[in-house]
Amino acid sequence: MSGQVRALIQSMPKESATAATALSFDEAFTLHHRAVFRTARAVVRDSALAEDVTQEVFLRLYRNLDSTPGEELLRAWLLRVALNVARNTLRGQSRAAARDDEYQKTTNEVWFPQPEEDYERRLAIAEARRALDRVKEPMRSCLLLKQQGLSYREIATTLSLKETNVGSLVARGRKEFVRVYGKIGGR
Amino acid sequence: MRRCLDEGILQSYFDRELSNEHMEAVTSHLVSCMKCAVAARELEGEVLLLSSALATEFDATVPTERLRHRIDVAVAGFGLGNQNAVSEPVVLAGRGWLQSLTTLFAFTPQRTFGYAALAVVLAFAAIVGSLQWGQNPSPTIDSKNNIANVALAPPQAPITKISNTGGEPASNVVPAPVAKAPVVAGERVQRTRSVRPHTTVSNQALPQVKLLPGERSYLKTIAALDSTIKAGSNRPMRPALQAEYERNLAVVDRALAATRNAAKKNPNDPDAAEFMFNAYQSKVDLLNTVADARLYNRP
Repeated sequence: MSGQVRALIQSMPKESATAATALSFDEAFTLHHRAVFRTARAVVRDSALAEDVTQEVFLRLYRNLDSTPGEELLRAWLLRVALNVARNTLRGQSRAAARDDEYQKTTNEVWFPQPEEDYERRLAIAEARRALDRVKEPMRSCLLLKQQGLSYREIATTLSLKETNVGSLVARGRKEFVRVYGKIGGR
Repeated sequence: MRRCLDEGILQSYFDRELSNEHMEAVTSHLVSCMKCAVAARELEGEVLLLSSALATEFDATVPTERLRHRIDVAVAGFGLGNQNAVSEPVVLAGRGWLQSLTTLFAFTPQRTFGYAALAVVLAFAAIVGSLQWGQNPSPTIDSKNNIANVALAPPQAPITKISNTGGEPASNVVPAPVAKAPVVAGERVQRTRSVRPHTTVSNQALPQVKLLPGERSYLKTIAALDSTIKAGSNRPMRPALQAEYERNLAVVDRALAATRNAAKKNPNDPDAAEFMFNAYQSKVDLLNTVADARLYNRP
């Protein structure tokens, strides 16, 4: 077990280790792979890299099945590992945008929009990303995780925050995002 | 709740993260406080804007099947890796050894002096070696040396005569380094061509005298042949043959001693060395003849 994963597990709330019943590996994948992939993709901005990150996250889950938290906080654990792995992956990765275009061309599962729609969609994604980039941490991660449907408790666990502070952080992040997004999009 | 709501509480209210009592209190406050009601409507609009803006990011299709396949492969590989955990340290050790070897050649300021010293030592050794080589008599044959009955041979390759199983005359001498392998008692004679005694192998039985260059191989061959002859002592030679053998051996030994002394006194004289090696070759031939005769029970 890597030191990083051990530190993550030790930093989890103590009741989480005994909470609820443990999910099987397959169940965990079925339930949470989307959240892991999307969170990773939001950080690395590249679908192929996000796949790498997702693979690594679930491989770590497999290695540490005995020591991961129960069902209640498993998603928080997975997303925390995903954020760490994604940030580590992002370091030294400057080819994300180019690879993402290539990925969109090669994959069969991605919906291909029409050229005009494609342009508008890409523009919207670019604007949202630029606005999100202007939001400071940990507010930015709060917004990302909130968008994934995580509870405040899960967000607090994932980001090692106090649960009572999450509401304020989400509010501040939202306001900052809207302010920047309005300027960028002219809204 | 009379105090106005802060943004954290309002956000928590919309995210339904407050307790039931707290939720009711906030609801009642929003009904009574116009300022907070306006803030709440504003917040609601921003939440919708945020969701729709980030939806483009999060609505991308998730490649579930490919992810499942990749993870299955990775998990299977991890399982295999665990099974091979015993052999892994060996591989890692091998890599470590290789790495240490490569780092040996990495030039660092600390090692510069070490490598320089090593280079000086190697250069010195090369000079000494080349000088030694120069003293070693050349294998080229001078025409005026063709006075001996024994064919000339390269100094470091004593020629033993060809001894065929058909019992050809043992006087055949060839001017080439074709040799018979030293015969071990009780063994079938091995007939291999070009068996050259190694000059580098030290012979413990040799006397502790300073040997001239090229002598060692002859001495080794002679010792091997001598042991072969002595090993057959359960079958004594005919007295006449024994006497003839010893007489010839004494003549060869005297010639050998004389030529060796001459070569020793004139280390830079290639002719003197040539004569000595001819004498050695004569002794090898004699011993070879006798050993052959003893092994094949010939007179």
